Amino acid sequence: MGTRLAHFEGDNEKIKEFEDAQRATLNMLEDFDTEKRRLEEVQSATLNLLEDFDAERKRLEGVQRATINILDDFNSERMHSEESQRALLNILEDIDVEKSKVAEFNQQLGAVNKELEASNKELEAFTYSVAHDLRAPLRHADGFSKMLAEELGTQLKPDAQGYLADIQDSIGTMGRLIDDLLSLARIGRQEPKLQTTGLSSLVAEALSELKPEMAKREIEWRIAPLPFVDCDPGLMKQVFLNLLSNAIKYTRPRQPAVIEVGQTTSEGGPVIFVRDNGVGFNMKHADRLFGVFQRLHRKEDFEGTGVGLATVQRIIHKHGGRIWAEAELDKGATFYFCLGELEK
Amino acid sequence: MERAVEILLVEDDPKDVQLTLHALRGENLKNAIEVCRDGEDALDFLFCRGAHSDRSPDRRPRLILLDLKLPKVDGLEVLREIKGSSSTRVIPVVVLTSSKEEVDVVESYKLGVNSYIQKPVDFNQFRETIKTLGLYWLVVNQPPPDSAF
Repeated sequence: MGTRLAHFEGDNEKIKEFEDAQRATLNMLEDFDTEKRRLEEVQSATLNLLEDFDAERKRLEGVQRATINILDDFNSERMHSEESQRALLNILEDIDVEKSKVAEFNQQLGAVNKELEASNKELEAFTYSVAHDLRAPLRHADGFSKMLAEELGTQLKPDAQGYLADIQDSIGTMGRLIDDLLSLARIGRQEPKLQTTGLSSLVAEALSELKPEMAKREIEWRIAPLPFVDCDPGLMKQVFLNLLSNAIKYTRPRQPAVIEVGQTTSEGGPVIFVRDNGVGFNMKHADRLFGVFQRLHRKEDFEGTGVGLATVQRIIHKHGGRIWAEAELDKGATFYFCLGELEK
Repeated sequence: MERAVEILLVEDDPKDVQLTLHALRGENLKNAIEVCRDGEDALDFLFCRGAHSDRSPDRRPRLILLDLKLPKVDGLEVLREIKGSSSTRVIPVVVLTSSKEEVDVVESYKLGVNSYIQKPVDFNQFRETIKTLGLYWLVVNQPPPDSAF
């Protein structure tokens, strides 16, 4: 302030007072200015502080919001996991219910199996007593009718003798029917016990057992090598016994009889066949071929009860296989069979 | 004097008894056959007890023809007792039955039967079978001597 101060004339004391006052005022103004500047500094420092405080507050608010968000997320996570837990508990409950249902089913299955076993045992007992109880009166009827024939023999007219012969004939038939039915029933009860078996050896065994039926016969045998298969050897031997016995029987009018055993292949595996040049049959009756007691020939031409092929079919089916036949009247017949895939 | 019993026939069916006796007639054995109609009677006879307690134990049959289906005591049980006692074990026992069921054959052999025969339905075959077995066990076969008992 380089203000030129007014120089007053006159009173030096007053001028001095005035100059003092002026100086004091200037000092005061300077102090005031300093103070103002200080206050301004304080103010701006305060404003800075307030700004910092505000920023801090905002930061804290941000942290608070973030914390609240985290708490929210945590809460919703917790609710999710509670839901999952509930869902899991429900699944476990359902599994438990399923398990107890399965246990119930198994119990029912067990009960049904027990019933089946009991029923099978009943059937066995039944067939056993059929064997015994039916054979006895048959034996008696045959015995007494023969004793009667012996007692009266020559006193009887030819007709009457014929009647007695017929009685004995019928008795014999019934005896064979019982035997055949029993063996069919026995096979029906058996589960095949599978083992790898050479079919050729079964054929050889069957042929040796059939020697009595081949006595005095001229038979040309053509036996090809047969494969090894998984089967029940006892049951399969019965198959060959029946098929070969039929072939021998129905080729009786032939000289020589020609009987072939061999195999052909198909996608499913080996197909075994037994072929003969016998009297054959009419294919239109083929559906009766495997029926129990069904026959396609007259008894007086060819004996038999009609159980042989039914037995064979049952055995083949028990092995999961198939059997069929092709024939022509008076030319011969071929029986084909294949065995299925079975669990050992 | 007590007659010697050649054959003990254990059979419950009267018709089977008649037919068997008829078949044995040809062997001149009809008088030497004792018939027991049930298992209990057969055991009483063989062990000289009950209704047969007046029998002498030295008089033993040389052959026992045994049916399996018997009242009171079953055929297999009779077989078990016969083969289980030293006083009767050596007597040949031939099971003569309608049954050819494997379970009966197996059990009979396990109990020590000497022979198992299924009665044929055909009477001629039946007669032939009885004749053959009578001939075999009483003539061809050497019966156990007394010292064997």
